[in-house]
Amino acid sequence: MTSLSPSLGSPYPWLKELKSEERGLYLIHLLLTCANHVASGSLENANLALEQISQLASPDGDTMQRIAAYFTEALADRILKNWPGLHKALNSTRISLVSEEILVRKVFFELFPFLKVAFVLTNQAITEAIEGEKMVHIIDLHSTEPAQWVALLQVLNARPEGPPHLRITAVHQQNEVLDHMAHRLIEEAEKLDIPFQFNPIVSKLENLDMEKLRVKTGEALVVSSVLQLHTLLAFDDELLRKRSLLASKNLNGTHFSRVLQMNQSTLAELLEKDLVNGYSPSPDSASSSPLSPTTSVKMDNFLNGLWGLSPKLMVITEQDSNHNGSTLMERLLEALYSYAALFDCLESTVSRTPLERLKVEKMLFGEEIKNIIACEGAERKERHEKLDKWIQRLDSAGFSNLPLSYFGMLQARRLLQGYGCDGYKIREENGNVLICWQDRPLYSVSAWGCRK
Amino acid sequence: MAAASSSSAQVFGNRELEDHNQMKQQHSTTPTNISSTAQAASAQKKKRNQPGTPNPDAEVIALSPKTLMATNRFICEVCNKGFQREQNLQLHRRGHNLPWKLKQKTNKEPKRKVYLCPEPTCVHHDPSRALGDLTGIKKHYSRKHGEKKWKCEKCSKRYAVQSDWKAHSKTCGTREYRCDCGTLFSRRDSFITHRAFCDALAQESARHPSNLSTIGGNLYGGSNTPSLGLSQLGPQIISSLQDHQNNQSGDVLRLGTPLHHHHRPPPAGQFDHHILSPNFRPQQPSAMPSSAAAFFLPGDQSNQQYHHDQDHHQQQSHQHGFLPNKPFHGLMQFSELQSNASNVNNNSPSGAMLTLFKTLANLLMSINYHIISLTLFFSGLLISNHFSAENGTSAGGGGGGAGEGPNIFSGHIVSSDQMSAGAVPSLYSGAMQSNHASAVGHMSATALLQKAAQMGSTSSNNSTASLLRTFGTSSPASTGPNKASFVGSGLFGADQNDQSHLQDLMNSFTAAGNSSIFGTPFGGGTEEPKLQQNSNLPMNSSLGGSDRFTRDFLGVGQIVRSVSGGFASKRSSEQQQQQQHQQMSSLDSESNAAPSSQSFGGSGGNFQ
Repeated sequence: MTSLSPSLGSPYPWLKELKSEERGLYLIHLLLTCANHVASGSLENANLALEQISQLASPDGDTMQRIAAYFTEALADRILKNWPGLHKALNSTRISLVSEEILVRKVFFELFPFLKVAFVLTNQAITEAIEGEKMVHIIDLHSTEPAQWVALLQVLNARPEGPPHLRITAVHQQNEVLDHMAHRLIEEAEKLDIPFQFNPIVSKLENLDMEKLRVKTGEALVVSSVLQLHTLLAFDDELLRKRSLLASKNLNGTHFSRVLQMNQSTLAELLEKDLVNGYSPSPDSASSSPLSPTTSVKMDNFLNGLWGLSPKLMVITEQDSNHNGSTLMERLLEALYSYAALFDCLESTVSRTPLERLKVEKMLFGEEIKNIIACEGAERKERHEKLDKWIQRLDSAGFSNLPLSYFGMLQARRLLQGYGCDGYKIREENGNVLICWQDRPLYSVSAWGCRK
Repeated sequence: MAAASSSSAQVFGNRELEDHNQMKQQHSTTPTNISSTAQAASAQKKKRNQPGTPNPDAEVIALSPKTLMATNRFICEVCNKGFQREQNLQLHRRGHNLPWKLKQKTNKEPKRKVYLCPEPTCVHHDPSRALGDLTGIKKHYSRKHGEKKWKCEKCSKRYAVQSDWKAHSKTCGTREYRCDCGTLFSRRDSFITHRAFCDALAQESARHPSNLSTIGGNLYGGSNTPSLGLSQLGPQIISSLQDHQNNQSGDVLRLGTPLHHHHRPPPAGQFDHHILSPNFRPQQPSAMPSSAAAFFLPGDQSNQQYHHDQDHHQQQSHQHGFLPNKPFHGLMQFSELQSNASNVNNNSPSGAMLTLFKTLANLLMSINYHIISLTLFFSGLLISNHFSAENGTSAGGGGGGAGEGPNIFSGHIVSSDQMSAGAVPSLYSGAMQSNHASAVGHMSATALLQKAAQMGSTSSNNSTASLLRTFGTSSPASTGPNKASFVGSGLFGADQNDQSHLQDLMNSFTAAGNSSIFGTPFGGGTEEPKLQQNSNLPMNSSLGGSDRFTRDFLGVGQIVRSVSGGFASKRSSEQQQQQQHQQMSSLDSESNAAPSSQSFGGSGGNFQ
């Protein structure tokens, strides 16, 4: 029976012959199969699936090949975390260069219109909110991109009543980023001769001491957060898990099977839901797990803190995806959809080879995917949630949703038109803005004031 | 407000706008290029309108070469900045506090404009052949009368339009098809056409009459394969019946082998993966003369599906089809199979496939697979895999005597289990369309996901939804008697002579698809013991059990319709039936398998 064994080539020769679409569909199938195995803990099978995927996926192939490459890496990472020693050893020489991170953020800013649109909307909202104000204080949570504030300086400079005294407090955990920011902004302010003060705070957002923000009475306070607030959701289930572990030690078995069952149902349901209206928010994703909370203590505290500063305006930009589901399959499916859209953006706007594209895909999206798929608890920072969740959350923290400026949206639309790629769209929803690729919302921008 | 807008323009840069305009252009040309190749294929059939036959009342515009090629025709009088569009200039003027006016959208249809090529010798210089859009004429002028400034670094091909060049550079060298004769092709279609006529190929195919690797391609849907694959299933089933009639021990192997013949020309060159071992080479092609080929692939249909030149090869390979009275290793090989099973299961689907080919069940599965996998099994799988995983080793358990046979296959490919067959008809047509599309260009990941999801929703909206859903809780397949219908109802049952007809068969196949017979996709070695049990499973009597399983609850009628639709796209399905019927009889007479042919003949009316 030796004749039975394949005589030549790779064990899956026919895989190489698949055309792009066939391969894509097959990859989706394999990914979901693999994820199912990972979710149910059958690592042998997961391994076999990974092996097959590796025949097809490629970080520089077509969109689905690229996505598959990063998702498998993430799934493998998750598997590997079952052996913490192994996992740590394999990552022991990993170095993260701040300069590289800054570079990647920059490339993301430049390759996509998302941040630009968010900045235009934010700046326009700020400009309108501080009209006539003489003292303005802007708190930038996790600032990385000086371009936003350079643009604002220019706008304020052209204000009929003259520029205000402007203070920007920037929060970031890396000093280098803040230095770069300070340099750029001070230079610009000097050029325009605007009274300007830069107040850097080296801190993680979760450890931010509100006192350090040095908010003074009499100044118009503005808070701006771009793709950062969701990280504060990371702590809750950690705390809660500990608590519930104690509480339900005996029930563990049943919990487990419930989770498994949920996996099964969510798969088809999510796929279906997604088809029906592009997306229908699954209202229960945060509450569907018996383990996860409906409220987030850390987030609530932070928002309450901000509320206490009574900002005149708060503008929040977030990834508009539901990546905070309690089960792996839920998150994987959602992530597949949203990162598919992001990778599609690149595929249709950038040629395949540039290093920048690979870097954004690997170092930004790839890492996010890995975080969403492989991490749990406090480690899992990329807890992107849909706008309606944010609205609920901010509303219950005492903020009132303000409609974004019409003129801002007009500018944003023009900016997107200038991109000349009709895949990018802006959708207005009750005064908030969703920035979409085709019909899929990818980012949300919303403005908030303090409810008295 | 004006200040704000101008500042944003500064920050986000006019440079970017221009860049992106370029991207847009590039983008718009890329699909055109690709689709033109697709059109080329059909060009022989349908003559296209000559480009540039404008509406007679359109306004004809003749631009000088300089104006035509100017990138920024609209100049701001204050700062001399140029714009591509007047609207943009007007918006810009606003920043200078100059009077500005944007064109309002009017309700009435704007006057159509057509553009002349400035080159006097060009056909498009004539107003009657003017082109309908400005970008089009620009590109035309550059391509046909301009300097080819852009050179591909890899192949030195030159382009006049940057976007053409970019589009080319993206793919240059990435796709290469090398024929054994040494010729290189960058395009798959030209490669295939070439190979049809290449001598090297003929030699190659003599040495390797068929190749399993084609199956892989087929399973996952070569663009043309689904319909063909399906259309041929019928005949194979028939043949299996006939074989069975002739020889109860069943030359199962034979049933499997035809599968890999039907679709593609015998591969060579880069497609050449010789998995097929000598044992499985079809023997004595003469046994089934060209009528067999005709049976599979009536000539006029093949034109629809294939390049006519491919036909030749298909026919060749079809002749290898089943060889009625050829002695083969039959079920005896189950034991060997078992010994190979773990290897097969663990390592490679293709290896597993070999094994598969030895069993009738394999045939069924492939059918299943053809029906379903081609058209995306995912949705069902999502659930089913999970289910199988939970069921652990019993995953493959289609249950019941016959159901276990397939356990053998649980080790590989995909569990076709919950593929709701109800989803199939629509999926099927969807797949055909999309295959068509895939010839044009590759789908975005979003589109792929949507397609996959569509399968999910179609399936659960269907009458089979309940089936699908029940999988969450337990395996219905392993409890009811119907699961046995896998091979059961029509195929080998004792009751072949009565009401078993194709629809039954299809039902049972799809039913098999719905039961979790095929188990976990990567079942590993866990099924080995079962294999052993099954080794004395000569598709036995229990199989015949459930011919009650005839209701069309999987919507199989539609499958059959869609099958025949794909099979003979221009023919009405009735004709199709008749034809098949005839062919069946002819086949019968050749193979002396009268009894089954009767049952089949009788079923013609039930075909739909």
